[in-house]
Amino acid sequence: MIMVRWVLKGLQTGIKTTSYPRREELASGVSPGLPEGKREPRDGALSVISRCPTYALRQVGQQILVDYRRCIHCFRCVRGVQDVLGWNLGYEWAAYMNKNDGPPPKLEKVFGRSLHIFFVDGGACNACISELEQLNKPFYNIHRLGFFVTPTPRKADILLIAGPVTDHMRFSIQKAYAGMPTPKRVLAVGACGLSGGIFGPSFASEGGVQKLIPLDVGVPGCPPPPLAMIHGLLLAVSRKPPASLTSSGSVDGRKKS
Amino acid sequence: MERPLDSTVKLENLSEEITGRWPDQVRVDLDLQNGLCLMECEASVLRKVCSWLFSKQGFSFASLVVEEEHAEFSLRYIFYSEKSQVHILHRIPKTEATVPSISNFVHAADWHEREAEDLFGLDFEGHPRLGDFVLHEEWPEGVNPMRADFDPSKPYVHREVSPYWRPIKIVQASGAFMMPIGPIYSDFAESAHFLLETVGEDVIRTITRFFYKYRGVEKIAEARKVNEVLLLAERFSGTSAFAHSLAFCQAVEEVSKVEVPPRAKALRILFAELERLRHHVGSIAGICGSTALAVATSQASILEEELLRLCCAVTGHRYLFGLNTPGGITMDFNNEVIQNLADTVQGFLEKLEDLKQMLRYSSSFLDRLEEVGIVSPGSAVSYGLVGPIARASGIKRDLRTVLPYSGYEKVEFIIPCEQEGDGYARLRVLFGEAEQSVNIIRQVASFLPSGPTVSPSFEVTTGAALGWAESPKGATFHWVRTEEDGRVARYRITPPSFTNWHGFHLAAENFAFQDFPIIMATFGLSNAESDR
Amino acid sequence: MMETGNFFVLFLSLCGTGIILSALFPDQKNPLILAWVSSLAAIMVLLASGKILLSDQVWQTELWTLPFLGKLVLKMDHLSALFIFVTGLVFLPVSIFTVGYMPKYVSHYNLKTFGIFYHLLFGTTVLVLVSGDILSFLLAWEAMSIFCYLLVNFAHEREETTRSGFLMLAMSEAGTLSAALAFLILAKTSSSIDFASLKSASTHLGPLARWWVFLLSFFGFGVKAGLVPSSTWLPRAHPVAPGNVSALLSGIILNLGIYGIVLVNADLLPLSQFGQGLIVLIVGSISALVGILYATTENDMKKMLAHSSIENMGIISAGLGAGFVFMASGHPILAGIAFIAAFYHLTNHSLYKSLLFLGAGAIDSSVGSRDMDRLGGLIRQMPWTALFFLAGTLSIAALPPFNGFVSEWLTLQTMLQSTALSSTGIKIAFAICGAGLALTAALAVTCFVKAFSMSFLGMARSSGARKAREISRPMLIPMAILAIFCLLLGVLPTYTIPILDKSVSPLVQKSVTDELVPPFFTVKKGDPKFDEAFISEFHDLGAQIGKDFLPGRGLVVLHRGSEKNPVVFAMSSSYSFVVLLLLLGGTFVVCLLIKERKVTRQPAWDGGLRYLLPEMFYTATGFSNPVRVIFNAIFRPTTVEHRKETVAEHFRKAIKMVRKEAHIVDRTIFQPVVEFMQSTSMYLGKMHSGSVNIYTAYVLITLIVVLIVQLLL
Repeated sequence: MIMVRWVLKGLQTGIKTTSYPRREELASGVSPGLPEGKREPRDGALSVISRCPTYALRQVGQQILVDYRRCIHCFRCVRGVQDVLGWNLGYEWAAYMNKNDGPPPKLEKVFGRSLHIFFVDGGACNACISELEQLNKPFYNIHRLGFFVTPTPRKADILLIAGPVTDHMRFSIQKAYAGMPTPKRVLAVGACGLSGGIFGPSFASEGGVQKLIPLDVGVPGCPPPPLAMIHGLLLAVSRKPPASLTSSGSVDGRKKS
Repeated sequence: MERPLDSTVKLENLSEEITGRWPDQVRVDLDLQNGLCLMECEASVLRKVCSWLFSKQGFSFASLVVEEEHAEFSLRYIFYSEKSQVHILHRIPKTEATVPSISNFVHAADWHEREAEDLFGLDFEGHPRLGDFVLHEEWPEGVNPMRADFDPSKPYVHREVSPYWRPIKIVQASGAFMMPIGPIYSDFAESAHFLLETVGEDVIRTITRFFYKYRGVEKIAEARKVNEVLLLAERFSGTSAFAHSLAFCQAVEEVSKVEVPPRAKALRILFAELERLRHHVGSIAGICGSTALAVATSQASILEEELLRLCCAVTGHRYLFGLNTPGGITMDFNNEVIQNLADTVQGFLEKLEDLKQMLRYSSSFLDRLEEVGIVSPGSAVSYGLVGPIARASGIKRDLRTVLPYSGYEKVEFIIPCEQEGDGYARLRVLFGEAEQSVNIIRQVASFLPSGPTVSPSFEVTTGAALGWAESPKGATFHWVRTEEDGRVARYRITPPSFTNWHGFHLAAENFAFQDFPIIMATFGLSNAESDR
Repeated sequence: MMETGNFFVLFLSLCGTGIILSALFPDQKNPLILAWVSSLAAIMVLLASGKILLSDQVWQTELWTLPFLGKLVLKMDHLSALFIFVTGLVFLPVSIFTVGYMPKYVSHYNLKTFGIFYHLLFGTTVLVLVSGDILSFLLAWEAMSIFCYLLVNFAHEREETTRSGFLMLAMSEAGTLSAALAFLILAKTSSSIDFASLKSASTHLGPLARWWVFLLSFFGFGVKAGLVPSSTWLPRAHPVAPGNVSALLSGIILNLGIYGIVLVNADLLPLSQFGQGLIVLIVGSISALVGILYATTENDMKKMLAHSSIENMGIISAGLGAGFVFMASGHPILAGIAFIAAFYHLTNHSLYKSLLFLGAGAIDSSVGSRDMDRLGGLIRQMPWTALFFLAGTLSIAALPPFNGFVSEWLTLQTMLQSTALSSTGIKIAFAICGAGLALTAALAVTCFVKAFSMSFLGMARSSGARKAREISRPMLIPMAILAIFCLLLGVLPTYTIPILDKSVSPLVQKSVTDELVPPFFTVKKGDPKFDEAFISEFHDLGAQIGKDFLPGRGLVVLHRGSEKNPVVFAMSSSYSFVVLLLLLGGTFVVCLLIKERKVTRQPAWDGGLRYLLPEMFYTATGFSNPVRVIFNAIFRPTTVEHRKETVAEHFRKAIKMVRKEAHIVDRTIFQPVVEFMQSTSMYLGKMHSGSVNIYTAYVLITLIVVLIVQLLL
């Protein structure tokens, strides 16, 4: 009898899933947003740049550029400071990481509608993992897009890594990467995987996935919201265009007034 | 063993008794205003004093802080009880480096001593199992990363691992084997390694190997400014970011003797409870997910995502990053916004209550949780477990009432406590605490004081202090020592997951394989928090 | 072609030659001589019995006539020809295996005696099967038992061997005594001791005598057949016997017990009561279940195979029991099908069990241990052994296309035919026993998945397993022969069943071939039994494919029930095998055609561990633990746990667990009986008071009692 009540409750709750990527997600609170570089900043530019603890801001000519790989959402560049940087509440942040080789060959023909993901935790603080767990939950539900999670690298097409890759996990990650059959791609989630985050390269962490295995797609953020991770996965199968890793490129989403 | 939790231990009586028992070997300094008793102790009586405090006087063990000074190591054993702390200090010269181990009497100190042995190279005499804890088999011999002469920015030279290396085996029975789990196992699980020793059905012994996520936070915090270390404190464990940053800020505020304005304190309470609510809803979703009750998991996950969105809409970040700062919080909020938040959260509570009622009557769900993963009250006490897990095993202790901070003395709430110590008891405690969090949020929203949300800017002075908070997983202690120029000289974190992972094997033993993931979900611990 | 008799004489003389040559040649050369002579003898015996099986004649000769007793006769009818053929089929590969296996005993034991006893065993076994009268039967039987004991006891310097061998001998003698009593009762009303006279005179026996004959012969021969409750000797005898002797024991000697049961209860004195057949059925089902339960939880490979032999004998016995019940209730065709199932299973069991025992012997001689917890990973070092062992495993687990599938399927189908019976009680008994057999089939799969995977797959768990090398050719070839036979008998049931029918039809007085193997290939129009509608229906299903170029009657095993009970069951493992080959072959070809394949080899995924150690693999004990837990009521183990802890109990240094258990038959039957006898003896022992006066009093009392009795009568 209770099972019937569970079914009814599920039906009662209705559909909560977001309609991204078909339509933009307009609910509030889906993304912490990223800073946006501004042209012709006022005089306080240098002091703003020095406020960033991860050296993500730099001045080029008359513009402040943001290196999104380093941004950790500490808000120190916008709080308590008068109108130097803009803030963009979008979520499509993923980008190709191996720019030197050009974009990787399109995966869409083979894996566009059915991609198997193998997740490895390279020392992530729980925030990225918690966001990743939301992907299989009602609001985001990546199954509808054809993405599945597999517990073994033998059946995986894409390796998802979160965290700065601690030294103790090096061996396991290399083993996991070697254990995947070709063609395979690597997706790093979070600022830690792209630049080391606040931990940076040290004796205990590599400071980025690229130091260990070749990286194809990166999703900046600390933590990137689930929609950004979906954008990253869609980018990996070429179903969506990439964003730029610095603020000079186009960034989708709404602007905060 | 009766623990006199309700009585307030008079520190004066305590110091009198100690000086009476061990007149020459212990020197006592009382700081009654802060409820702190500092004792300096000689090696010969260290064990007796600690064990007496723990067993006879009912103090709980918080942390062991090892600091390296010029020519000696100082070990600080921190105990606490109702509104009072006892720090036992013990110094040894660097040439000696042997300390009597107190783990046989105060079992909660076991992992602290193993960590100190690995990271500092101290030898704890009488400890039955040292080695292979934080540093894994490829770490070179004789190199200890927390020592002053170790450079944290360079990678270390790996050692060739012997092919004959074996993990320790405890069970000897014909046909016994160890089932390995990890370090990479199911989808979206954190990296940790378990060896389940079994003869086929029941797990006889669980051997845990952690620190695969060791990022050396305590080491890289050294010689950084307090502002940067605040980021480390916030982000080494993202799901309890607010609580850890709160503990750190309180430690810094204690060092610099800064008064936090009342509005900031109230808002801190509000957001801490908001984080606790979100964390517990996530844990409930995890428990339902581990038993594969899909609709309940979805219901709880919907609530969790709605809470995350609420946090982001109000404060700008889903996990409340960037909110705490020494002296207060970084943003101010409209009272109306806060009231709306309280009302929204009340709406969530109703849905949560509905879920709880339905779960109470799902017998197939309860079957997997009841009488599974039992932690007995005696074990919980001797292992010093904290948080909802301890409260489910009959230990009614919560830092918000034992060592009240940030204005919690002014808020009224009850501490849910259960006796069985099984998975269902832990689930009930989670529901109870979520309800209390909503209660507190509404209280604070209705009596929100006005004023600034941050104290005027100040210079961080030199000194050392302990900061603490009741994070969603349990009690966390941050010890901060600052030096000139506002840099951190020593940062020691004792996260609740570290304490609780120690006692995890108690729950997993003598239950079947299939119960293992469920027991892990009911514990709801984090490896990122424990490994730092 | 020579006559059967000539072949038989040649066989005997070869055995004799073998005995003499074994006595003469030194130990090193002895196995080779044994192999040659014994193989030739086996071929002779195959030819002798094959000639009878393929034709309709029967061979018989009279030896001497003894006064008061009657004629001594040797005869080979179709029943014994079948058993003799199986004997030859097993002896041939085992003899070849001996060449590679016995050398490990060279300096420890005397191989000459082994050779002598081996040939003697061969000769007496065939003599048992060829005997046509009680005296020669019993003489040959006793001789066979003794030589079997001597061979099992070969490694006699170990105490365990002598104890187990002695138990085997004692139980065998008890069984022989019981069987002899059965024969005596049979001979009560007959003029002569030869089986023909017994058969005609047996119709005069009353119901009580029939019950006695049944019980004595069933439980007496049941000891030799290894049926519960008299099977305790088998799991003890197998581990201590040399590998090739174990193969003989399970493959041939156990069959003799079945031969005895069938001889007395189907041939000489056919069973007339349901109850008797039911007893055979129920004892068979219980043996099957108990056997496989203990096999699944056993780690010593030979002990496991011994328990599995008990299981298979149980299945054969269940088939026989069903046949007896059908006979007694007037369904000779169903009885015939049941007997065919039982005999098919007997043949199959001999083949795959000896294959498995030879495999166990090969592993033992290569690794040095039989404990499955110490094996592992042998497939890399012993690939051929693994392949043939796999064939044996698939056969015993009753998986197509091997032979075990056909006989197991036929047995279960027979159980389902109980709908033709009228009594509800018997139908319920059939249903329960059928369910029990299905359970044993499922457990058998578990048991042998464990046997194969723990030994050959995974990682080596001991240094012996790491250093194992592939065995020599003389040990591989016999396994190959047996594996091929297993496959043949599984793929060609429609050729085997007509031959088995020749042995079964004298017992049920009806030929069952038409009922089980319809002549789809050879049927002519207007045949009264197979009308046009029937043939065309099955033609559409493909039952006539290959009609033009394949010999024989057809390739489908099919049975139509009677009008009252029109149930059809059908199977064609031949066609399935062809389809299987096409699928596998087709996949292989497709794989070859796909050019863009890049193959990388990486170690198996283990969660990212640095080293995957043998300790981290499932052990045989762990694999079968769920079975042990579910059937705890039967096993009832006692576990003793020792914990070694340091001062504070939270630090545990070592936990040691020792488990003890006693076999259920021992626990429920033998131990109480032994205890009862011991306590009675203790009580009666009080008579021995040691005082001379009391003994004198005993003499006086006896005298008085005898006088009184004599006065009364």
